[in-house]
Amino acid sequence: MRLAVSHQQRLPLAIAMLGLLFLGVFLLYPLFNVFGASMLDSEGQSFTFANYSKILGRPFYRAAIVNTVSIGAAATVITTALAVPLAFALARLPIPGKAAILALAAMPLVLPSFVSAYAIVLLLGNSGIVTKALQSIGLDIGSIYGAGGIVMVYTLTLYPYVLLPTVAAFKAVDVSMEEAAQGLGSSPARTVRTVILPIVLPAILAGGLLVFIETLENFGVPFVLAEDLPIFAVEAYKLFIGETAPNPASAGVLATLLILTTVLVLLLQRRFLSSRRFATNTRQAPPILKIGPAFRILATLYCWSVVLLALVPFFAIVVLSFLEFRGPVLHGNFSLANFSTLFGRDLRPLVNTVVFASAAALYVTLIGVPVGYVVTRYRAGIATVLDIVATLPFAVAGTVLAIGFVMSFNSGPLILTGGPLILVLAYTVRKVPFAVRSASAIVHQIDVSLEEASISLGRSPLQTFLRIVVPLMLGGILSGVVLSWVTVASELSATVVLYSGEWRTMTVVMFQALEGGGGGIATAAASTLIVVTLIPVALLYRLLRRYELN
Amino acid sequence: MTQIVIASVSRSFGTVRAVDNVDLTVAEGEFFTLLGPSGCGKTTLLRMIAGFCELDSGEIRFGEHRIDRLSAHRRDIGMVFQNYAVFPNLTVAGNVAYGLKARRVQPDEEARRVEEALALVQLAGYGERKPHELSGGQLQRVAIARALVIRPQVLLFDEPLSNLDARLRVSMRAEIRALQKALGITAIYVTHDQEEAMSVSDRIALMNAGKLEQVGLPVDIYRHPVSRFAAEFMGTTNLIQATALGLAVPHWVSLRPEALRFAEEAPAGWHLLAATVTRIEMLGPLTRLELVLDNGTPMRMATLDAPHHVLAAGAVVSLAFDTARLTVVR
Repeated sequence: MRLAVSHQQRLPLAIAMLGLLFLGVFLLYPLFNVFGASMLDSEGQSFTFANYSKILGRPFYRAAIVNTVSIGAAATVITTALAVPLAFALARLPIPGKAAILALAAMPLVLPSFVSAYAIVLLLGNSGIVTKALQSIGLDIGSIYGAGGIVMVYTLTLYPYVLLPTVAAFKAVDVSMEEAAQGLGSSPARTVRTVILPIVLPAILAGGLLVFIETLENFGVPFVLAEDLPIFAVEAYKLFIGETAPNPASAGVLATLLILTTVLVLLLQRRFLSSRRFATNTRQAPPILKIGPAFRILATLYCWSVVLLALVPFFAIVVLSFLEFRGPVLHGNFSLANFSTLFGRDLRPLVNTVVFASAAALYVTLIGVPVGYVVTRYRAGIATVLDIVATLPFAVAGTVLAIGFVMSFNSGPLILTGGPLILVLAYTVRKVPFAVRSASAIVHQIDVSLEEASISLGRSPLQTFLRIVVPLMLGGILSGVVLSWVTVASELSATVVLYSGEWRTMTVVMFQALEGGGGGIATAAASTLIVVTLIPVALLYRLLRRYELN
Repeated sequence: MTQIVIASVSRSFGTVRAVDNVDLTVAEGEFFTLLGPSGCGKTTLLRMIAGFCELDSGEIRFGEHRIDRLSAHRRDIGMVFQNYAVFPNLTVAGNVAYGLKARRVQPDEEARRVEEALALVQLAGYGERKPHELSGGQLQRVAIARALVIRPQVLLFDEPLSNLDARLRVSMRAEIRALQKALGITAIYVTHDQEEAMSVSDRIALMNAGKLEQVGLPVDIYRHPVSRFAAEFMGTTNLIQATALGLAVPHWVSLRPEALRFAEEAPAGWHLLAATVTRIEMLGPLTRLELVLDNGTPMRMATLDAPHHVLAAGAVVSLAFDTARLTVVR
């Protein structure tokens, strides 16, 4: 029995301890408080399930649960049905402009989904441009508010989550397996069904799961489009911020139920996937299939229309932001008034967005990269615990984490409410799982013997990490920084709970303009956000290309 | 010049005794090889010396200094890896200078030693190249230069040639041995290839299932294997009960194929056997024959190419061997 920590374990142990300390204070403790609030009676003295029976006893909240889950399920199914054929076409069919399609298809991932929702309202809402135009020729498209509109926006903004991994999976199918199937007398259609689909199924499911969880946690899209339809994340927010009386206990109940739902889905997926891992060792990408001209035109049309349709709302918002609004009503004249109103009033929200996103991206990287390294390289007990805890924020909606933050840091030894740091910390916690996953994926690619070579040449494990591992991870780290930056800049669900006074961000400005009916400011804020998120992505793209050329 | 002492070293992974109470002493300046099949514990033992694997018990000393509790980066070792492990983000010179920078060697001396080391492995002028521009053999030379340039107490080689093609393997192993002898650094070399082991080593430790099977000069292990495992691992052999050769000893014996000759070419006094040829394999310089003795025992024989012998399967021949070439094995 060795009690002393061996020399090999010191660095990973230190990283794991620091990581767990951070996540303990800023993730587990707030979640514990949320859970605690849901389990305490009104005096806060004794444990009770009364809050649960009260909430679950009300049809309104039961409906919220049913609505959220069924909208999520519908969006997941439709997204998958749309994305899998698209993925197959991009991987295996002769489609012109594939690289462009793939680049455009990734864009919805970095653009804020509630902006898309708002654009849909401006185009297809009760007084939307398209609605009016169609009415003038006697067509009524019906209401896009409620479940239908929400599912539509989810589909248009979340399909890349299924598309991108599925394209990769289709490309990773070993050609010899297809050849073997056909050599055994299987028709091409049967080969797809019995050989290729089972191999790509894990990727499709993983993507579908991401879509489902995103819908469960999304706050902005239902906030814009749900109208009277009760939705989990929105109702938790309303209960907590409460125009009438804030109700932490009930908000805690909804928050806890939301976490449990997500965790349940994650566990189901893990159970299902654990028995269905197929390792294929491809030597080269499978060949592009030969198809007839009619099918080819059809497939090309399909690919381009899905990708462009998803971007129409964002494009529309940018155009609309240069038109003149009077209150919520749109007029057809070109004008910069929206932007001058937006920035004339105050530049702070833009500055806040940039500063917060930069700070959070920095923290996320400083935490995510070492943690991702440790959970990949070391399989000891504490690394496993760290892996689980660092994945947990993935299952926690922004609204829920924010409610926990307010409950935890409004009083006591650490008071953060009312300041900017609470926002940055909440963003950091929310994005850590993504940074850990991506860092872990890169570390998997780095041969351990490189590190051992460095150590045997006299560099300590810490120096080895900094001089060898980090430089080799650089491309991936940069992408991670940009992705964190961009998603933080358009974060809404935690921000609306945690912002205060002068620490408003662009998303809050847009949110408030939506509530107050200031269409001009909302569109200007939205197109500013689009530009702010696309600039770093474009810069990264150029930088990485140069990096790869070297 | 450093002596390496491995004393009662053990390590288990779960229920598997990867290294089982191993005692070894490697002399100063010796080229010592750990040889064995995969899973025999040779790599684990090497990684224990390097500091990448902990000991459950026992100790390892470099000379008088116990090093098994020292951090890997303080052990003053030069290690060459199977997959080269050349840092892809550094130039060739940057790779070779890496260990010198860690030792805070003065820049002018660093430059001089890097140049020297690159010249030593025949890569002079390659300093500014990036690793992806080099071939596998060149990469392994960079790795060797990088390990030598720090003038370590001990050199460790972890199957350094197994990713190279057969021709290059043969020339590189001669180079490695020449370099080691020229510099006089004590070296431990891990391989599963007995021919490579015999070619480079001063001494070999043959390992099996975590234990030392036999330690000795290459020629001794080859000619006098102590066990059936050692006899078979060190090359092709005939493992038979001595009684099948008509000898009155109740033991397993090993008789190498090349120790057998045709009776008409053998000196007087050799032991004779009657056999039938079952298969002939012509390998160029060597001809391998599979035969069966009159009592049904299969036998393998190898001769140098001998055009005057015209044989075919089914031929009945008379064989002879020197009983001194028989080794009793356990």
